[in-house]
Amino acid sequence: MKRDGFLTFLPWAAPWLAGFMLFTALPVGLGIWYAFTDYTLLEPPIMVGTKNFARLADDPILGTVAWNTFFFGLLSIVVGTVLSIALAVLLSKPARFQAFWRSAVFVPSVLPLIAVAAIFKLGFDGELGAANQMLGLIGVEGPNWFGSGAWAWAALLMMSLWGVGPAVVIYLAGLRDVPKQLHEAASLDGVGSWGRFVHVTLPMISPVILFNVVIGIINAAQVFVVPLVMTGGGPGRSTYFFAMYVYDQAFQYGDMGYASVLGLVQFAAILVLTGLVLLLGQRFVYYRGA
Amino acid sequence: MKVLNSQTSITRRAALGAFGAAAASYAFLGGTRRNDIPAGRIVLDYWEKWTGHEAAAMQTVVDAFNASQDRWWVNYLSVSGLDRKAKIAIAAEDPPDLLGLWHRNIPFFRRSGALMSLESLGRSRDDYASVLRPILFGDVQDAAPTTCSSIALYYDRAMFREFGFDPDQPPATIPEFDEVINALTIRDQDGKVERAGFLPGDPGWWNWSYGPFFGGQMYDAATDQAMVNSPGMIRAYEWVQSFPQRWGLENLRRFQGALVDNPSPYRNFFSGRLATTLQGPWVAKFMQEEMGDNLMDYAAAPFPVDPSVQDAANPHGSIECDVLVVPRNVRHPEGSLAFVSFLQQPENLEELASGHGKPSPLVKPSASFLAEHPNRSIEVHQNIMVSQNAFAEPFTEVWPEFSNSLGAGMSKIDVLQATPAEAFTQVQEEVEAQLTRAAARRALRESRL
Repeated sequence: MKRDGFLTFLPWAAPWLAGFMLFTALPVGLGIWYAFTDYTLLEPPIMVGTKNFARLADDPILGTVAWNTFFFGLLSIVVGTVLSIALAVLLSKPARFQAFWRSAVFVPSVLPLIAVAAIFKLGFDGELGAANQMLGLIGVEGPNWFGSGAWAWAALLMMSLWGVGPAVVIYLAGLRDVPKQLHEAASLDGVGSWGRFVHVTLPMISPVILFNVVIGIINAAQVFVVPLVMTGGGPGRSTYFFAMYVYDQAFQYGDMGYASVLGLVQFAAILVLTGLVLLLGQRFVYYRGA
Repeated sequence: MKVLNSQTSITRRAALGAFGAAAASYAFLGGTRRNDIPAGRIVLDYWEKWTGHEAAAMQTVVDAFNASQDRWWVNYLSVSGLDRKAKIAIAAEDPPDLLGLWHRNIPFFRRSGALMSLESLGRSRDDYASVLRPILFGDVQDAAPTTCSSIALYYDRAMFREFGFDPDQPPATIPEFDEVINALTIRDQDGKVERAGFLPGDPGWWNWSYGPFFGGQMYDAATDQAMVNSPGMIRAYEWVQSFPQRWGLENLRRFQGALVDNPSPYRNFFSGRLATTLQGPWVAKFMQEEMGDNLMDYAAAPFPVDPSVQDAANPHGSIECDVLVVPRNVRHPEGSLAFVSFLQQPENLEELASGHGKPSPLVKPSASFLAEHPNRSIEVHQNIMVSQNAFAEPFTEVWPEFSNSLGAGMSKIDVLQATPAEAFTQVQEEVEAQLTRAAARRALRESRL
């Protein structure tokens, strides 16, 4: 019987299994192997032991890209979380055209990121961009957004908020699960709306916040397309992020071995940060029925 | 309520039928072959970077080749991110038959043994300008030029006349140029720049190239040594840094951030906000496209140099060259070589160069090429091409990484975060490490041969 079930399952799962083996398991395995080799892509890999790992210690660019990625992740997760919770709270209130507003928040995240990044690049163009034109309407002289690190970061952060839609949808679902009785009880005790939000809503949706923060960490650690298209890592290396450095090592500089090491470091960093957040979550996250 | 049985909701026969229908659809509708290729021709795939009028110029040559014989058919494809895609295609042993690269790609592809010899073309090194020889020849010739360019100073002759400068005597030295820049620059009473006489970072494509105008050199190919913090380099970038110092960093940022109704990279020059600019010969074609009948009265001259390196007979200027290569393991090497050989005929090279608005890569272009060229200053570019003082980007496989370090250092110079000496000391350290690493990798490969 069990064997029959397995034989029925296998052909249906085979396409996924084949895809997983070919496009995930095999590249990961090869990546681990390449980390111990010198590999230019155009010539066969040569084993070099742990030489690529030793290079991490005296790589002058690694610190810059790691800090940029960490700081960008921190800012985008904090700002993104606050904004998406605020939007979710607003969208959970009864309003005219509620379905339209909800769709309007979600739809931007459906667009391909590379196209959105290209549009935003034009939007923030110092000479032609809509951002400066709008600032001009209120009498403010817009900056040369990509001419200084601080303004380039501001543009990237604003762009990162473009994709809050999925998080908002998850928060909306979380908000619907907050028992009304708790709000009613708090109201009877004289707690105002802000107090109810802080002491009832937030603890009740804390598992959802944890989930979104973990997803945010994974996404932030891999930030790539948007800065690549919008700033190319500049000016200087002010918007040069970890995944861009991995890409450059692999495909621009022809050092697939070191790129693989960087990829493993990135994976380990995501693992450690996620573990830390989950540990913190045990202290701050409230699970109903736990 | 009826509950669907998962075992029976989709039968095995239905699933097989669906797969079969999909396969049959692909067989009949998918993977269709172009129907304009004459029967019996062997198709050669040619990946090239150009689009627009540049692609059209090469398509003209391709069409002529396809019409000139009945065995091969070159299929021209414009490909973005060409060098990266080519690396992957060659690594996968499925390269295009012909590949149009930038000259800066050649050291890496050559060092990796990815290029086929083009010795059968029978070209001598002397056929090409001296600056092109290391680009086209390794141990043997393995790259052929398609189009080459030299970079020069472009200016509006009417503006020169208006401010009392002789447009036929453009500045030849940096002090003369500074005088012109200061005279042509217009600033309002608050110090904001309304018109810049020149800006080293506009359009920003040759920010690496100022060193040789001051006698500097950032890389010595003979010894494989970085020289980024050499005195000539530092003097050059002190001059570059003098622009935010003399006009104010914020004023320059405002100038670059001001609204201009033109998406072109040439917008500041074409609109008159920038009086002079460092540009390639193709600018004349774009001027024609963008300005039409209101064409400015432009001219080009070699970029001014420090008086200590002035050499009127051998003007200074950077060159760049697009090259055609045949990757290793192509399916039809004979056909690939036939096309390269066809393209290298002087009349075809000149037709392509003229279509791009560029000088000829050959030492001696024809008189008709110069006379009928769309750029009225083409002789300036042609002279730089064959000059002993022409120079190119450092010709090393670490250039992509080198230029990343250089760009980071130059950004600090541009925004007055560091003096050129400070910025270039750090760049020098980074580039030395890159060159040492590259040498070690080469030694490792050679030890395995």
